[in-house]
Amino acid sequence: MPLSRNRQETELAALFARHGYVPSDVPILQPAEAFVELSGEDIRRRLFLVTDEAGEEMCLRPEFTIPAAQAYIAKGLGRPLDLAFIGPVFRQRADGPGEFVQASLESFGRADIAAADADLLAIAMETEAALGGSFTIRIGDVGLTSALISALKIPPSIARKIRQNGLHRTEAKPATANGLSSYQGVLAALQGADPAEARAFVKDLLSIAGLKAVGGRTPAEIADRFLEKARDTGVGLNDEQAGIIDQFRTISGTLQGVAREVQDLARAASLDLSAAIARFEDRAALFDKKGLDAKRMTASTAFARNLDYYTGFVFEFVGNGMDKPAIAGGRYDGLLRRLGAPQDIPAVGCAIWLERFGSAA
Amino acid sequence: MSKLIIGVPSKGRLQENTFGFFSRAGMSLVRARGDRDYRGVVEGIDDIEVAFLSASEIAGELARGSIHMGVTGEDLLAEGVPDREQKIVMLAPLGFGFANVVVAVPEAWIDVRTMADVEEVAAAFHARHHRRMRVATKYINLTRRYFSTHGVSDYRIVESHGATEGAPAAGTAELVVDITTTGATLAANGLKVIDDGTILKSEANLVASTVADWSAEAREAARQVFFRIAGEENGRKLREIRTQLAAPVEQATLDQFGASLPFGTGSRVTIIHCPARNVGALADALTRAGAQAVTVSALAYVFRSENPVFDRLSARIG
Repeated sequence: MPLSRNRQETELAALFARHGYVPSDVPILQPAEAFVELSGEDIRRRLFLVTDEAGEEMCLRPEFTIPAAQAYIAKGLGRPLDLAFIGPVFRQRADGPGEFVQASLESFGRADIAAADADLLAIAMETEAALGGSFTIRIGDVGLTSALISALKIPPSIARKIRQNGLHRTEAKPATANGLSSYQGVLAALQGADPAEARAFVKDLLSIAGLKAVGGRTPAEIADRFLEKARDTGVGLNDEQAGIIDQFRTISGTLQGVAREVQDLARAASLDLSAAIARFEDRAALFDKKGLDAKRMTASTAFARNLDYYTGFVFEFVGNGMDKPAIAGGRYDGLLRRLGAPQDIPAVGCAIWLERFGSAA
Repeated sequence: MSKLIIGVPSKGRLQENTFGFFSRAGMSLVRARGDRDYRGVVEGIDDIEVAFLSASEIAGELARGSIHMGVTGEDLLAEGVPDREQKIVMLAPLGFGFANVVVAVPEAWIDVRTMADVEEVAAAFHARHHRRMRVATKYINLTRRYFSTHGVSDYRIVESHGATEGAPAAGTAELVVDITTTGATLAANGLKVIDDGTILKSEANLVASTVADWSAEAREAARQVFFRIAGEENGRKLREIRTQLAAPVEQATLDQFGASLPFGTGSRVTIIHCPARNVGALADALTRAGAQAVTVSALAYVFRSENPVFDRLSARIG
């Protein structure tokens, strides 16, 4: 039975409090800088931007996670803290109003990673029940993909593309020299050269040409790129690597099934993914222990939301013909350091789109 | 809004060229109180108000429907009017205001020739400097779309509405997306256009708004404007040939040269309208068909009853 908007929010507030989440809030008007620096133009064109008197670019908050993390860094460092937010967020969207209500759960600083993951999923499932939804639960693990990329010793430029574009668009083609293709001879000569010598040589050449640093890149940076190209040109994924990745990204099914298939693949390819698989299995065991219904969950290796942001457990509640999730989130252990914390801090959280649950008119 | 409102660029070469364009068509633009006036009229046609605006304002006003027609560049329309097809109709390219919107990087970036290089450099820059590479431009939408198409996401835009080419040297951006005609300004600022860096080739166009309030007076005034413009264009492109032939000239001969008989075949003197570039060849064919002499004169105007541009506009505004 769908609930009316205020009742939805009241129910959720009570539910979150029961699980020890502190009801919190952050200002609607936020500096745009942190969002843009993290997500670039992709988020910036979605922001409602204003400029304050001092000329600083402000925005209407598009989400809660970044402001929550900033608040935690400012006031809460050193102890675990679970924060809950419910309120309007603002994004320019083609498929909906620019203002919509989101609930957000952020769990900072808990060292018991697998337990924190399991607790969050449990609350997400209770939230779904409280709001009267029934979705498919998709589970992924960015840690498995990262471990595979490391174990395969994939060239850094290709690893970067995989992290950016996801496994479904593996760049199996060899890296090309692109603009440097007219310098094939120089690149060939630099291959295998002593890096310090080669760097100094290219730097000196650029200085002779009278080209100073213009626009933030130094001659040293340009020299380094020459060297990287010399090293990487023609180096692509070999057939074996491409084949393993192709096999890996089609693995999907139950949590247990996926763990087993990844283990089998690793063994067959003589790759050590044991640490990542152990984390995956520990988490799955905790889901069981908490009585979460494994039959509702589909795990897949290819399901990985934004590999540069998430670092481990990821999940989505989707279905009912929507291509956008009603609840989505995961672990983002790298975020707080990027926002200025002195070290990496474990963090896991999710967002709930109330508009994607039915509500009484 | 019953008068036809035409937006005309208020300064620079675009303004000069637009004045020239209307003047050649016999519709001089008059600024009532001299160069400072923001309003004007068209000599010879009633019910027209000329609004002098910057070219980018013209694009915006067309999209909003607060002016009926205007002269502006394709670059500004592509940038400022997201759903162009619904809001405006391009009536005619004007043959001036040519410029390209390009991606330009410092010449010192000898390792960067293509957008694929830009993508790699952006990622490396972010990792090394812990901030995103900055692109200075006023073409926010064009830049986002083009960069996205080429897989570049590791950057941010710094809005720049003047002297964009100076941004890298001033340290406010790493590269630029800017409009260029000769490339001289870019070179003077130590920048080069990358090989696949041409985002858009732009030209000044006469553009109409489909969402403006098209009253009967505005439509009539527009019809007259297009009538005169077509007249000038035909006159410029055609020549009148007079000759005397025993038998009417063959249609096949006319077709061969894109020529026509404006007054039919009534009199002994045959009057033909022929594209300027073909007069020599047609004159030759006519003498071979028996003509003793063939004279050719330029035409000031050729007015016709068909008004194809007006028909196109009518079809869109209903």
